[in-house]
Amino acid sequence: MTQPIAAPASATPEADTSEEKRLGLWLTLPAQLLVLFIALFPICMQIYISLTDWSPLDGIPWYRAYELWIGLLNYVDLAGDPRFWSALWRTCIVMAICVPVQFFLGLGLAILFVDDFPGKRVLYSTLLVPMMVVPAVAGYMFFMLFQSGGPVNDLLSLFAGRPVTIAWLSDPDLALFAVIVSDIWQWTPLMFLILLAGMVSVPQDQQMAAVLLGASWTRRFFTIVLPRMKTIIIIAIAIRVIENFKVFDNFYIMTGGGPGVATETISIYIYKVTQQELIWGYVAAIALAILIVLSIVSALAINKMKGAK
Amino acid sequence: MNRSLSFDIFRYAAILTFLAISLIPTVWMISMAFKPIAEWQASGADLTWWPNNPTLDNFRFIFGESGSELIVALERTAGRPILASLLAASFGTLIAMGAGTAAAYGLSRFGYGGNLPLALIQLRLFPPMAVMIPVMIMWAFLGLIDTWYGLALIYGIVTLPFAFWLMKTFFDDMPREIEDAALVEGCSRWRVFLRITLPMMRPALASSALFVFILNWSDYLIALLLTTRDWVTIPVYMASLSSSMTGQLYGAKAALGLIAAVPPVIMGIAIQKQLVRGLTFGALKE
Repeated sequence: MTQPIAAPASATPEADTSEEKRLGLWLTLPAQLLVLFIALFPICMQIYISLTDWSPLDGIPWYRAYELWIGLLNYVDLAGDPRFWSALWRTCIVMAICVPVQFFLGLGLAILFVDDFPGKRVLYSTLLVPMMVVPAVAGYMFFMLFQSGGPVNDLLSLFAGRPVTIAWLSDPDLALFAVIVSDIWQWTPLMFLILLAGMVSVPQDQQMAAVLLGASWTRRFFTIVLPRMKTIIIIAIAIRVIENFKVFDNFYIMTGGGPGVATETISIYIYKVTQQELIWGYVAAIALAILIVLSIVSALAINKMKGAK
Repeated sequence: MNRSLSFDIFRYAAILTFLAISLIPTVWMISMAFKPIAEWQASGADLTWWPNNPTLDNFRFIFGESGSELIVALERTAGRPILASLLAASFGTLIAMGAGTAAAYGLSRFGYGGNLPLALIQLRLFPPMAVMIPVMIMWAFLGLIDTWYGLALIYGIVTLPFAFWLMKTFFDDMPREIEDAALVEGCSRWRVFLRITLPMMRPALASSALFVFILNWSDYLIALLLTTRDWVTIPVYMASLSSSMTGQLYGAKAALGLIAAVPPVIMGIAIQKQLVRGLTFGALKE
């Protein structure tokens, strides 16, 4: 049985003996240190470097980056950098296509799986396979599939009755389509997994009552099941939106962001500036801008969810 | 919900159709991995969906035994990258589980570290690419670039949120009566944690560790930035299986991809029940 947990069952416990206080402190210390190590110092460093024109090729260590001080110029550049904005826009488009498609496919599958039928366990496990494949390997799989002499065109030829040789990955629009397909393939199972767990947890009694009153299946679904799944649906979509915003592995392996910048998402854009153009001062500015925007958005979202409860 | 025969038929038809499409990429990779060179080089009309003459040549090739038909010998074989992936993912899991379990217990029982849940969710939220510049500088300063332990350290930090949240929900669920009984018997708090709580938590620890291992094993971006040559992981190494001279070594890549894909799929199926809990930060339990 699955159950959504709104809040911890009991209030936060309090340590009462000095032994417990000591233990509580020591147990949480390593995690605290790791968080500090990855948060505090890097963020300060990031702010500092973002105000300079520093690059690892300059031959001066990062702490002397002040010699290349340029103030807020990186941020001014960023505001007028069309490649940055188009990468951001593209990331949003990918998200706006992938997440709804994954959601509706996942929901449909969850409806089919909600009650027991022979073979359920095997089919369920097999359905989950894509999400466990290493994303980089998935990217490679789809790279093979979408070659112009590859199996996708082979299948299309079968239906078309003549040889099809579409160059999927070298056409800007088709390449974007191909990477979106790979994302949908990999992450629909995750939506399905979470939505099914949520659907199973909807209490049966009300539904039984509705059946006795003669409510149709669709009516029961939309008035009883779906409203009860609200929290889970929000969680599932939030997880995919967050992950989709970061997307890199399969996209980069399939197209390298290309052709041109046709499949360049925000992570790929930052990666390329980091590795190829090596202007790390500028990269730090981009990264900070994204961190700030995400912090604001997440703080708003968390506040709203708290308010909703 | 619905019990009619027509619905059952529809259900099987819909599920099997979806499954057939969803299995194409996996099946194709498996098939490519066992094809001899002539077959994996084929394209267009010569394409075969299943190897006519299945062979292990691709696997031999990536481990350095130069196949008879492939003229090129690999400059570097797949053994080392597999070792790198194993070491980095395992020790990363150790770090995440160690720090995560301890902190989860500290919070769940003694109320320490109340800032951690939110801090760790935020750590999870940010794209790794947005914090990699300072990390690369720090790792270079500490001499951790291109080492398996440098990679393990960052993996441990990146997956700490999952380890912490998973273990926290398990500790929250655990009845305290047994611990209390041991305390009355005169055991110290520390001893209770080591001798009673942790052994009781063994199944939870195992499934959380597998979950974290899958995440670490799946990384590509971090290894791409922090390893250069000696300790590149499997996905990074995979790119080297193509060159201007040989073109794409599809068969070799598929063989390596299969090796990379098998462990997480098996582990994932083994911990199916905990997947939802792990993925939703314990908001949903099964």
